[in-house]
Amino acid sequence: MAKETTGATTMESLARGRTTGKFRCVNCFVRISPPPGAKTYKCPHCGFEWRVFWISPTFPRIRGPVWDVNRRLAAEEVSKQRKGGK
Amino acid sequence: MALNRKIAYINLTTGEIETKPIPISMRKKFLGGRGLDMYLMYNHVKPGVDPLGPDNVAFVSAGILVSTLASATARTHIGGKSPLTGYVGSANMGGFFAPEMRWAGFDHLVIKGKAEKPVYLWIHNGEIEIRDAKNIWGKTVHETQQIVREELGDREIKILTIGPAGEKLVRFANVMTGVKDAGGRSGMGALLGSKNLKCIACRGTMDIKIAHPQEALDYNKTFITQITSAKVSQTQGKIGTPFIWGSTNSWGGIRTNNFQYNQLEYSDDIEAESLDEVNIGMAGCFGCQVHCRARYIIPDGPYKGVYDEGPEYTAQGAFCGEPGCTKRNTLLVCNHLANIYGMDLLEVGSLTAWAMELYEKGILTDKDTDGLELRFGNDEAMIEMCHRIARREGLGDILAEGGLRAAKKIGKDSIKYLIHVKGMSNLHSDERGTPSLALGIATGSRGSDHLRSRPAVDLYHLPEPVLRKIYSTPVAYDGPLTSDYKDYEGKPWQVFWHETCYEAVDCLGICKYHTTFLAATGPNFEEWSRVLYYNTGLEMSPVDIWTVAERAYNMERLFNLREGLTRKDDWLNDRYFDEPTTRGIPAVQGRTIDREKFAKMIGEYYEHHGWDENGVPTPETLKRLGIDKEPSHVL
Amino acid sequence: MAKVLMIDYEKCTGCRLCELVCSVKHEGVSNPARSRIKIVKWEWEGRYVPMSCQQCESAPCMSVCPVKAISRNEEMGRVEIDYDVCIGCRMCIAICPFGGMSFDTLASKVIKCDFCDGDPQCVRFCEPEAIQYVDAAEVSSVKQVAAAEKFTGIMQKVAAAIAAV
Repeated sequence: MAKETTGATTMESLARGRTTGKFRCVNCFVRISPPPGAKTYKCPHCGFEWRVFWISPTFPRIRGPVWDVNRRLAAEEVSKQRKGGK
Repeated sequence: MALNRKIAYINLTTGEIETKPIPISMRKKFLGGRGLDMYLMYNHVKPGVDPLGPDNVAFVSAGILVSTLASATARTHIGGKSPLTGYVGSANMGGFFAPEMRWAGFDHLVIKGKAEKPVYLWIHNGEIEIRDAKNIWGKTVHETQQIVREELGDREIKILTIGPAGEKLVRFANVMTGVKDAGGRSGMGALLGSKNLKCIACRGTMDIKIAHPQEALDYNKTFITQITSAKVSQTQGKIGTPFIWGSTNSWGGIRTNNFQYNQLEYSDDIEAESLDEVNIGMAGCFGCQVHCRARYIIPDGPYKGVYDEGPEYTAQGAFCGEPGCTKRNTLLVCNHLANIYGMDLLEVGSLTAWAMELYEKGILTDKDTDGLELRFGNDEAMIEMCHRIARREGLGDILAEGGLRAAKKIGKDSIKYLIHVKGMSNLHSDERGTPSLALGIATGSRGSDHLRSRPAVDLYHLPEPVLRKIYSTPVAYDGPLTSDYKDYEGKPWQVFWHETCYEAVDCLGICKYHTTFLAATGPNFEEWSRVLYYNTGLEMSPVDIWTVAERAYNMERLFNLREGLTRKDDWLNDRYFDEPTTRGIPAVQGRTIDREKFAKMIGEYYEHHGWDENGVPTPETLKRLGIDKEPSHVL
Repeated sequence: MAKVLMIDYEKCTGCRLCELVCSVKHEGVSNPARSRIKIVKWEWEGRYVPMSCQQCESAPCMSVCPVKAISRNEEMGRVEIDYDVCIGCRMCIAICPFGGMSFDTLASKVIKCDFCDGDPQCVRFCEPEAIQYVDAAEVSSVKQVAAAEKFTGIMQKVAAAIAAV
């Protein structure tokens, strides 16, 4: 019945898995934790570098790429892939 | 009680007004808002009518939970045959109009015919009056509302209005309320304009009885806490939807220079955090604790000091991503112009960017543009085109007809470059790297649209068990699901699931930001079953609500099929398949959509719906949903 | 110590959830016309101001009431209406400088904020904390801190600018 509340709903159970202080690198998807207040942060896993915006002192988000770094890394990676593919 | 709101039939040709109760059986079948509107549309709009002729019908409605305790119950739905696409017209907006309409006694308005001269409707505690609109015809969205409030002598009146663009029948004109709340797609503003209906003013002080007040209050607290504790909500509550840009433009999901690139590089000035510098505080729609609307004052330039709200993610793409502009001022000004003229900024930006590509390719010349240098990155040209489209001047007049009609007029191979589905321009998103998003826009009932079925959480790389949990509630699904947004597998189910979820929120009158759209942890069917019971007393299981949404979506499909839609209309521009992406992270570079795999996806998507290979609902499906005898003319 | 509603209009997002929960709590209905709190708005400037009873120490409504139906409950720190005595003359509405007293036309009675008997629902639901329920003495200290923060913020900016030069 509609009014009964039995156990946690999908929403409630998923909310338990939330992480704070981290974001996923949008290149490699690994969760990374920039040091508090950092304006930019290089992903320790893939090397892509992101400009960081702090929603609150403990809540970072990606603002955008560090353009020169990521453009270069992407170009290198793509050319490597193309060579490998040949 | 919350279910005693009425439906009013208003004939603008004859001036006749009739009101009726809405039977509970229809509530259980369609709830309200978009769901019941789609039933009404299939029943009242005769096949093949001219969308801008007097035979088209406009539907204005509130979702069934509007003004009750279910968080952000603010949504107004506007329906009718679309002047832009000729298919389902459907627009949805927040703000404060729908709650006021319910307090004034009405849930649904069915507006027929055409007034001889400009009029507006005044709806007040069960009464509806047709009034002369000569004082407000020609006025902007903001001016109109202030004048009507003064004329009727009540500053609490809430107004749904069209701007000058709607009066001029710009085929993607908006219906608007407040500063920036927009029923912004499929040209519902032009529909009202064609009826000589400038606005609808509402004021109500009638009770909406809550079925279980204390439980509704207590559960609402839990519900709201769940929503506001999501990281996405907190982000939105601080910097609004432009935060999405930070993610999508970072990896390369933004179509730029119309469709030539998939990332707007060095766009720091238009990022959310830059917009935050001119933000004077956030604002919320009725009852909403996420408060994602930014209030801003334009800091410099000819519009210095002007107050407005937004800009949203869509505006960033429309006025910057697509035309390749990178100045914040352009974004703020264009957003303001779209708001006061009352037109779909997505179409304005998208069509302008298309015209820029045509200009750079020599298909349009200086003669066509009256000397305007319509090049990518020309901020002044972007601003100028907002004026020209709204006023239907020169090239603006051609673009105001919508992409497909404009392409016909411009000729040559202009259509090749138009990014649309069913005649509706696409959001600034570039879906070449994301088949699930591509499927969503290709199949949307109102055309290329990100709010019909977009599985946005597909971009989050969620682990498979999480996906499994989301996508097998409330109905079972044991097919494939993958975390990789580049995959084709399992995505048709995700699109079907979100389509049903978004239809359900639109029937309930809740905002999409309060469900599984941007946040994976948003409330959906299970929670709605509870809030529906506490507020209205209706006992419906999560599966019952799912079925209502499925039923309503099938009504939309039936409407489109009756208007001549075929499987080939659920398809994308060739550029998606032929031109590889060139920017962004390595994983999305060199990407195209695979024709064969995409066709297979569409087939699967039809199967999930219970449609045949042509996209037609099978007799069994219609029977299962209880809509095998439509039109049934119950309302 | 008695508590008061501390309202910071700069934090208000204008959503009117307080009006909704107030009418549901008191009347079991959604109807802002029956709410004891009201958001006054200037939409085209983006200005939203929550208005409610100030629970005055020396309340004009109390003085003007011809039948002495209004009194102060010192324990709760609120001004109360005794509906058994009230004759519904609305003098209290006429004299209140804040519009804190209003008339419920459906129930034909004057209505005002009663702090929901100690658990104000407007406060419970206000996520941006534009409305808070705090000790009367705390209001000024909160304001002092906010003002001091602003002030030192400016000082720090100036100092940084000088240092940069």
